[in-house]
Amino acid sequence: MTDTTASHVESAPVQLNEDWVSAIIGISVFVLALLGLSGVDLLGWAVKSKIWTDPAQSLGPFGKSYAWLGGLPSLVFTYLALLAVLSAAAAVIKANVSRFAVTFSAVFWLAYLAWDIGGYAHFAAETPAELAKYGVTWSLHLTAEGGYIVALVAGLLIANFFPGVAAWLDEAIRPDLYVKIAIVLLGGAIGITVAGKLNLASAVFVRSLAAIVEAYLIYWPVVYFIARKYFGFSREAAAPLASGISICGVAAAIATGGAIRARSQVAVLVASLVVVFAVIELFLLPFLASTFLAHEPLVAASWIGLAVKTDGAAVAAGGITEALINAKNAAAGVHYQPGWILGTTTTIKVFIDVFIGVWAFILAHVWTTYINPNTPGGKAKASEIWDRFPKFILGFVLTFALGLAAALTLKGQGPALKAVADETTIFRVIFFVLTFFSIGVLSNFRRLWADGLGKLAAVYVVSLFGFVIWVGLFISWLFFHGVKPPLVS
Amino acid sequence: MGQIDLKAEVQGAAAEPLLPIEKKLIGWSLGLGIGLLAILIVVNALGLL
Repeated sequence: MTDTTASHVESAPVQLNEDWVSAIIGISVFVLALLGLSGVDLLGWAVKSKIWTDPAQSLGPFGKSYAWLGGLPSLVFTYLALLAVLSAAAAVIKANVSRFAVTFSAVFWLAYLAWDIGGYAHFAAETPAELAKYGVTWSLHLTAEGGYIVALVAGLLIANFFPGVAAWLDEAIRPDLYVKIAIVLLGGAIGITVAGKLNLASAVFVRSLAAIVEAYLIYWPVVYFIARKYFGFSREAAAPLASGISICGVAAAIATGGAIRARSQVAVLVASLVVVFAVIELFLLPFLASTFLAHEPLVAASWIGLAVKTDGAAVAAGGITEALINAKNAAAGVHYQPGWILGTTTTIKVFIDVFIGVWAFILAHVWTTYINPNTPGGKAKASEIWDRFPKFILGFVLTFALGLAAALTLKGQGPALKAVADETTIFRVIFFVLTFFSIGVLSNFRRLWADGLGKLAAVYVVSLFGFVIWVGLFISWLFFHGVKPPLVS
Repeated sequence: MGQIDLKAEVQGAAAEPLLPIEKKLIGWSLGLGIGLLAILIVVNALGLL
C-alpha cells in the first residue's frame, strides 16, 4: 500500500481531530433532524434514491414539503451541503482544503452514481411483489442496498486498474471519517428504534459485553500466540497483527503499534492488510449470513460485528446483511422491523472499539516495564487510555441517548419519530456510500501481491478463517439463537 | 528504513522465543476471557440483565 494510503490510516494526532470532527458533524445532523419533531423540517431537501426502471425517477427530495425541488436539484443541494461541511472538517484536520474540495467533488459524484446504478430494478428488486411493481421479470435481488456493492466495486476498479486516479483522489479518500459520521448518526436512529423493545436492547448490550471479552481476551492471545509460535513473527509485528485481526483492524493495529513503541511503518503495514481482508469479508460474509442464517437474524448480526474487522466494513456489512435477510424473510411473509440487524452489528463493533485505549495501555505497561524497559517513549501512562479512546464513540453515545430520550418521552408521536430516524438514515446512507467507495479505492490487490505480504496474510487467513469467525459464530449462536427482531406492526 | 526493507525484515526476522511475560499475558488473558464469557453466557441464559 502506498504512503498516501497510509497517510489517511490514522496517526494519533489526526485520529483525535477526525474523531471529534465526525462526532460534531453527526451530532449536528441528528439534532437538526430532531427539530422535525417541532414541525420544522430543516433537512428535507436531502436527496433520497429509489428503485427505478426510469433513471429520471430514481431521485427525489426526502421531505414531502420539499417535493417541489425535484430529484436532480436535491442531489445538487446535498452535494453542496456536504462539500461545505466536509471542507470545513478538512480545514480542522489540517488537510489541503482546496485539494479536498476538488477531489471530494469527484468522489461524491462517482460514489453516488454507483449507488444510483445499484437501484436499477433488475439489480435491486427483492421480492416477487417488487418485481411485479416495477414491471421486471428478473432481478439479481441485491436489494436497494446493493448500491453499496456497486460503489465498492467502482472503487476497486479505480484502485486496481487506474492507480493514478486513485492517487489523485487520495485527499478525499477518508473512509474512517465518513464511517465515523455514519456511526454517530446511526446512534440516534438506534436510540429511537430500541425504545419500543428495551428487553431486546438489553440482550444486545449483554452480547456486546461478551464481544469485548472475546475480542480482547480470547482472540488476541490466540492470534498473538499463532503469530509468534508458528509463524515466527517478532513481538513488534505480532502485537499489532494480533490487534488488527482480533479487535478492530486499522485503529487497533495503529494503537497497539504506538503502545509497544513499534516503528510506525509496522502498524501501517498491518493496517494495509486489514483493509484488504475487510473488503473480502464484505463480499463474502453478508451473502453467507443471508444463505445460512436468514432464520436467525440476530445471530447473523452479532457474527458480522465480530468477524469483520474494521468499523467501516463491519457496519457496512451489517447494512447489507440486514437488507438481504429482511428481504429473504419478507418474501416468506415475515417482515422484521428495519434497524435491528444493523443496530446490533454496530453496537457490538462500538463496544469493542471502546476498550482499544485500555488494551493499548495494558500492552504499553507490559512492553515498557517487562519487555523493553529502556525503550524511547518512556513508561506507559494512564493518560494513554484517554488519548487512544475513539472520541467519535462519545458522539454515538450522545445521539443514542438523545434518540432514546425523545422516543421515551414522546411515545404518542410515533410517525414523527420515525420521520426523524428516516431522515437521519438518508445522511447515514450517503456517508456509507462514501465509505464503501473509499474502501474500494484503498484496496489495491495487485500492489499487495507485488509487495509480498504473504506471510502476514497467511497469519490473517489462518486466524480469521480458522478460528475467529467460527468462535464468533458459536458464541453469537449461544446468545441469540431463537431471538428475533420485532415485526413491523 | 524503506518500506520494502521493513517488509523483508518483518517477514524474515529471526524468531524471538516467547518470554515468560508473554506466556503470562497469553495465559491470563485466555483464562480471564473464558471465565468472564462463561459468566456472561449464564447471565444471558437466566435473563439477569
